[in-house]
Amino acid sequence: METSFALTGKGYVIVAADTTAARSIVKMKDDQDKIKELGSHLLMAYSGEPGPSNAYIIMPTQPTDPLLSFYSGDTIQFAEYVERNIRLYQIRHLYPLRPSAAASWIRRSLAVSLRSRNAFTVNLLIGGYDLADHKPTLYWIDYLGTVVEVPFAAHGYGSYFALSLLDRYHNPDATLEEGLATLKRCINEVSKRLVVSPDRYKVKVVDKDGVREVEL
Amino acid sequence: MDSIAHPTQRQFNPYSDNGGTILAIAGADFTVIAGDTRQSEGYSIQTRYAPKVFPLTDRAVLAVNGFAADGNMFVKKVKQRLEWYRHAHSKDMPLRAIARLIQTMLYARRFFPFYVYNILGGIEEDGTGAVYSFDPVGSYEREACRAAGAAQSLVQPFLDNQIYFNNQQPAPGTSHPVHLPLPTILSIVIDSFTGATERHIEVGDGLEMYVVLAKGRGVQGLEDVRGVQELSVTEEGERIFVIRRDLKKD
Amino acid sequence: MWGSQAGFGSLVKGVPSFVIPSVPDPAAFLRLHTDDHADPSCKIKIQHGTTTLAFRYQGGVIVAVDSRATAGSYVASGTVKKVIEINPYLLGTMAGGAADCQYWETYLGVHCRLHELRNRERISVSAASKYLSNLVYSYKGMGLSMGTMICGWDKTGPALFYVDSDGTRLKGNIFSVGSGSTFAYGVLDQEYRWDLPDEEAQELARRSIYAAGHRDAFSGNTCNLYQVKEDGWQFIGNYDITKLHYDGPGEAPGNGYGYDIRVEGQTSTDLPATAGQA
Repeated sequence: METSFALTGKGYVIVAADTTAARSIVKMKDDQDKIKELGSHLLMAYSGEPGPSNAYIIMPTQPTDPLLSFYSGDTIQFAEYVERNIRLYQIRHLYPLRPSAAASWIRRSLAVSLRSRNAFTVNLLIGGYDLADHKPTLYWIDYLGTVVEVPFAAHGYGSYFALSLLDRYHNPDATLEEGLATLKRCINEVSKRLVVSPDRYKVKVVDKDGVREVEL
Repeated sequence: MDSIAHPTQRQFNPYSDNGGTILAIAGADFTVIAGDTRQSEGYSIQTRYAPKVFPLTDRAVLAVNGFAADGNMFVKKVKQRLEWYRHAHSKDMPLRAIARLIQTMLYARRFFPFYVYNILGGIEEDGTGAVYSFDPVGSYEREACRAAGAAQSLVQPFLDNQIYFNNQQPAPGTSHPVHLPLPTILSIVIDSFTGATERHIEVGDGLEMYVVLAKGRGVQGLEDVRGVQELSVTEEGERIFVIRRDLKKD
Repeated sequence: MWGSQAGFGSLVKGVPSFVIPSVPDPAAFLRLHTDDHADPSCKIKIQHGTTTLAFRYQGGVIVAVDSRATAGSYVASGTVKKVIEINPYLLGTMAGGAADCQYWETYLGVHCRLHELRNRERISVSAASKYLSNLVYSYKGMGLSMGTMICGWDKTGPALFYVDSDGTRLKGNIFSVGSGSTFAYGVLDQEYRWDLPDEEAQELARRSIYAAGHRDAFSGNTCNLYQVKEDGWQFIGNYDITKLHYDGPGEAPGNGYGYDIRVEGQTSTDLPATAGQA
């Protein structure tokens, strides 16, 4: 089951997402990158549920559980739409959108989509480093277009274990090493307790020097 | 006319909700148990006087709320069991034993529940005021105050504030009292019901308040109350009084 | 029934008997009138929502629970005793139907006493939990709802069993049950180890219940903490979860468990050394 985490620390945001792509009960792929690099200092982790277009493939007799998420075409479509529009903005205006502005635009896109015939059902974590005020920022956005700026966040079943853990262990002024150690706590806890837990995660960091991938 | 006989399936629904609200508050050496007397079904009022509070012994009073038919039946059965106990032991059942009895009687109907919320009030063997509240299948707990029924969600927060002093800061150098005097509690009960009558359509018509006093306590706090009626026949043991008030009838 | 056969006295005849509605499917009847998950307008609301936890460690067993009972979104009670004191050596926890847990664990207490009288020794925690498990299993499909942990100390030392109304019975070192259990596990797992000192074990249990009370809307109000030692259980204390958030468990303020309290004054903003002059 899809799980993503993110947390801020002193001058950085860590974003982590599992790497499984599943169809029904089958794991199709285990090295999928679900974190888009939207700009030099902006990351977006995306996870989603089966969209209306392919919902019939998966358990047609059961109601859609918003947490029983699958990696489907819907989420990629939306992520690429966001990626291209954020890039277009930078080409047109020379400057990229600041993280807060990008999060607002992305939220709005989801809200518009939600009110259309075929809504995207995508949950997002937007992590960015704002070069103007040196503030690492993290936005939690769900498929209904709810946005909230938070010091740490999680999506999926993993959030039920990770949020209380992060309440307890997260520090806003932790070093990157300490931040990654806290992330490892989350991943280990989910591996320990969640029945069908992801075994691999991709982890990316954004700080004043830009975005990069890190190995845990 | 139907000429072909065919099987019909009916839904078995032996439950209804007859509205109203009950409440009980324990003091240091007394307990007040109260209920309104309106009985309704949907938007129609069936009667303006259907008691929901019943004295069981000289020191125990039971208030029942929910489905009136189940409630009346349940009270009848509890009274019967208490009478049997009296015949076997030549004394009244203690309050905490009545509470356990009510649990087992409710739980015996675990798979066909009585739709009743019970509040038992009275005097414990150690002379303290006590309130026991139950869910329909018999889980129970001793508390200091409890409201149940239609206006539970209106009355209980008021009680939490006025009895437990929740979310209140005592004035500097003072502290909140642990037990309130009888006249104060009677006023709180009356205010609870007039308030609930204003804001809930299923509450109103009349109010019955039973007061149980501990043995040897005297009647302080009841002297100036209008229309107090004593139910106990002797002044020796615990004493029960009833006070009736009108509530708005619209 | 006559006289003193009131209450559990009726058990002299053996197993208690229950009134069953005369319909083809009694379990469906019960569900129709009591399942507020499927039908929020149903009349008889059985209380749900809980966080309970227990763990075995070097010093015995720690048991901690919240005290909130909810009926739908209404907080029906904030003072529920979710630890059931079966006898001086056995504790049971309450999740699921309040009446089911209260009644059957009291009933279990009766039979533990009968075991003592018949066998001149205390029942083992294993046997007691098996008794309860077999009992609720015999009612499987009838609508009982219990998720309980039976905790105690017997000849084998500290013992902990999880028993639920599906008939599951598990022996283990750490269990958490209820809607807030995942949040409790999130904190509990991180600092649990067998050789925890008593003080640290109690603190960990309190923090875990706090975490669940904070993140799960169906849990909260207060935390009740118990400890089982060789000479039986002991009540440690009742802690207001709001007070734990702001001030922590002790009398001295400033030790609050709350995130905002813990990280006060810290910031993730990383201003360069020269930024001040610009």
